[in-house]
Amino acid sequence: MSRQSNRSTDTKKMNSELFTLTYGALVTQLCKDYENDEEVNKQLEKMGYNIGVRLIEDFLARSSVGRCQDFRETADVIAKVAFKMYLGITPSVTNWSPAGDEFSLILESNPLVDFVELPDNHSTLIYSNLLCGVLRGALEMVQMAVDVRFAQDTLRGDNVTEIRMKFIKRIEENLPAGDE
Amino acid sequence: MYVIICMHCFCPQNYPLYIRSVPSQSELKFHYTVHTSLDVVEEKISTVGKAMAEQRELYLGLLYPTEDYKVYGYVTNSKVKFVIVVDSSNTSLRDNEIRSMFRKLHNSFTDVMCNPFYNPGDPIQSKAFDSMVSAMMVQSS
Amino acid sequence: MADEALFQFLHNEVIQYVNSAESGDTENGRCVSKLENMGFRVGQGLVERFTKDTARFKDELDVMKFICKDFWTCVFKKQIDNLRTNHQGIYVLQDNKFRLLNQLSAGKQYLDHAPKYLAFTCGLVRGGLSNLGVKSIVTAEVSVMPACKFQVMIQKM
Repeated sequence: MSRQSNRSTDTKKMNSELFTLTYGALVTQLCKDYENDEEVNKQLEKMGYNIGVRLIEDFLARSSVGRCQDFRETADVIAKVAFKMYLGITPSVTNWSPAGDEFSLILESNPLVDFVELPDNHSTLIYSNLLCGVLRGALEMVQMAVDVRFAQDTLRGDNVTEIRMKFIKRIEENLPAGDE
Repeated sequence: MYVIICMHCFCPQNYPLYIRSVPSQSELKFHYTVHTSLDVVEEKISTVGKAMAEQRELYLGLLYPTEDYKVYGYVTNSKVKFVIVVDSSNTSLRDNEIRSMFRKLHNSFTDVMCNPFYNPGDPIQSKAFDSMVSAMMVQSS
Repeated sequence: MADEALFQFLHNEVIQYVNSAESGDTENGRCVSKLENMGFRVGQGLVERFTKDTARFKDELDVMKFICKDFWTCVFKKQIDNLRTNHQGIYVLQDNKFRLLNQLSAGKQYLDHAPKYLAFTCGLVRGGLSNLGVKSIVTAEVSVMPACKFQVMIQKM
């Protein structure tokens, strides 16, 4: 009676489909709830921020990564440990600014956009903007204020997906982090 | 040379989600043939309860041979139907090749279904699906 | 598992968002149905993928077994613990350790929040079944956390 199935037993992969589709359902819901792409982008970033400030705890506990010495080390940890752990990809870290306060994460593939084809009426939607918020929120919890934005996106016809990160300042420990 | 003369995709309620035929042929010409073959599909689906495991394959095989054309069918578990019409004179096409064409269609359709901006039941307008079909229609056999 | 924490954070954040967007709604009804609808669409997509390589289903029971075993395992990494039916179109799926309730504290005061944490999954099941040609209404109830029962009422067409 048992159903023959040659499906892979790699449940991790299945989970990522659940994640990808759930994220897609969220984005399309926001597109219905808000009038324009800009507001959707903002809301995605905000939700990402909320996730980031909680995710960092999980990350520090599971990765046992210590305090980073500088922004370069932070960049490496984000790309090689955090992205690997949560999305199963390892972006490359490139395009450092001369001052060493700005770099790019190049994503060869982006699990969030598997299957996605943007309709013409959403040409200004930054589909994966949640990621920017996650990075900003998580780093704020380790006293780093950063600016994160998408510089390129394969969804919108670019060859690669590029997230640009800029270090703004170190947040004093005794000041409460901004609540959103 | 075209391997496939036309390809139709129908939703569970049998209205078309996607139609493509070779440029020289009018879609209307196959309308009757394709719709007759849909009846054969429905018949095969309705008897699935009694079928043995090996007869419950998604690929339904040859549905409707006419003098000039052969019509093949495939049904997904979501009851979306694919129908392919090939030229009868093309004798080099084997069953396995037809089957693997349907697999490709099905895979690509699955991606369409997973696009969050696609509403299930709407006509398929995916560029990825389009280009996959284009490539398949002219594939050298 | 790596992605799971991220999914749970996302799931929670989606609940927060929908809840605040529908804050005028005291009964939580609209919030729950919005979450349910999101789950529905996800369920449709997942089932399309998960059944790509499986043989055609024989009947309704065959479909239900697939949801309890393969589908549940792919999504929640365990099977449904118990499937019961009255053979008249009602199925009860019991999960003794439902993953999306795990982080809610077991206390009674949190029971009120349970419907929000189950709505998305009810939608997943309804969407999955619907994609396989089975129209249904899916509801969930929690008696003792984190055990949970999903009731599927088949809608005859």
